[in-house]
Amino acid sequence: MLSLRKFIAPVLLAFLLLITSCTQAPSRFEQAQKESTQGTQRNQAVSKEAEEGGSFNKFFPAAGEGYKLVFSQEKKGFAQAKLQQNGKDVAVLTINDIISNSSAKDKFKQSTEKIDGYPVVNQGKTATAVLVADRYQVKVRSTTLTEDERKEWLDKFDLNSLARLK
Amino acid sequence: MSKPIYEIVDELPQNNITIMALRALDFVVPGEWENLVGFENTIREVTGETDEEMIQAIGDRAIWLYNDKSQGYQRALWLYQTVDRTDGALATAALANKVGETIPLFGFLNRITPNPDKAQAIDLCIKLVVEVVAFCQINGLPGDSIGDFVGSLTDNYSKESLMRMAALVCFDGLIPLGPDFLLKVGSILDDLSTSTLEENNTFNRIGEAIPGEDSGSKLGFINDSFASVRGWMSGFVEDRGLDPQVIMSHLHGFIEFSDDKLDYVAGFLDMTTNYYEHTGTQTLARSLIERAIAEI
Repeated sequence: MLSLRKFIAPVLLAFLLLITSCTQAPSRFEQAQKESTQGTQRNQAVSKEAEEGGSFNKFFPAAGEGYKLVFSQEKKGFAQAKLQQNGKDVAVLTINDIISNSSAKDKFKQSTEKIDGYPVVNQGKTATAVLVADRYQVKVRSTTLTEDERKEWLDKFDLNSLARLK
Repeated sequence: MSKPIYEIVDELPQNNITIMALRALDFVVPGEWENLVGFENTIREVTGETDEEMIQAIGDRAIWLYNDKSQGYQRALWLYQTVDRTDGALATAALANKVGETIPLFGFLNRITPNPDKAQAIDLCIKLVVEVVAFCQINGLPGDSIGDFVGSLTDNYSKESLMRMAALVCFDGLIPLGPDFLLKVGSILDDLSTSTLEENNTFNRIGEAIPGEDSGSKLGFINDSFASVRGWMSGFVEDRGLDPQVIMSHLHGFIEFSDDKLDYVAGFLDMTTNYYEHTGTQTLARSLIERAIAEI
């Protein structure tokens, strides 16, 4: 009898573990979590060689004509400003140094258009981006502006000076 | 290993006393805050994207950014989580005793300990300092950039961030300290010694994260933060015609209490809500996702 009890307990426990592990579906983000905490590149989302975000600020468009530019993030390799009109957000403008995540470059291979000589692509439904000097990604994202309007704003960045930054 | 950011955002509650209390403040910042929970859901709302591949890429990048400790996001979240003083057992008991839509406060009076004015003034100031430091961590500014923070309060604070400031003014200022709370806090700070500060529980939990080498210089930073934000707070109260009675009338929607028990209402909210952690997590997730979509 004793041996049976000894046998039943671990079997039941294993069964219970099986059931509980089955009920929780793995998250679609589990792999990124694993790689970013356990892989060889763990805890390194941003390259040490990335430009300081603050050095990008001067290349953003000048506001005016009823628009206001409010800088909202300035991290290593990244700067973001919100474009506002009458106090409402119209678009989010960003520059980032893709030395930290070079896969961002891939999408520009499909580019068929250029602004100031730099390749342009649309990304998803809301974003249009330009790749400057193979290193800096300039992006305009908006749920209200049209694709053409997003391109107009991209054109207002000082892309040529940004290209000389590196 | 710390908990994954997608789990933290997925586990934000859809409804509890914190959410009810914040909803009651909708009249202060109309339409600014909705209780956005769930990691994927937040990605969809913040970016307007529906393409599954994009959503995956945004989420993946956000996770990488969060897990890189040098980027300051984990520190900011720790600050938001640690500054709240929440008694989970009391919150559960209060919800369990809800009659219809309201919680009768008189059943819990013996379990609520109102904060004395001095401790409340220190709590308010430390929450303010947490906001300054977390703002700098999230947005990549040096930790003591009070000026940038104040500028941003006017230009850039909206949604969950603005709601958090509204709750700070109402739940940690006007209700516990009264309509002249800014004057009160000012005079308490003027007389505050470093030894009294060191006795404060909130300071003991958060103190190491406040800029300054010793308690004296940390107290200096607390004073500077309050002095810089005081004008904004006073304008916020004036523009909206806020006073304890107006706020109480909106709280009556979910708590039942008599109007002479302001201290207890303040104590109850303090002990049963974690609005800093809740909205702070939402602020952080939004910022992280905005950066992620820009970088992919």
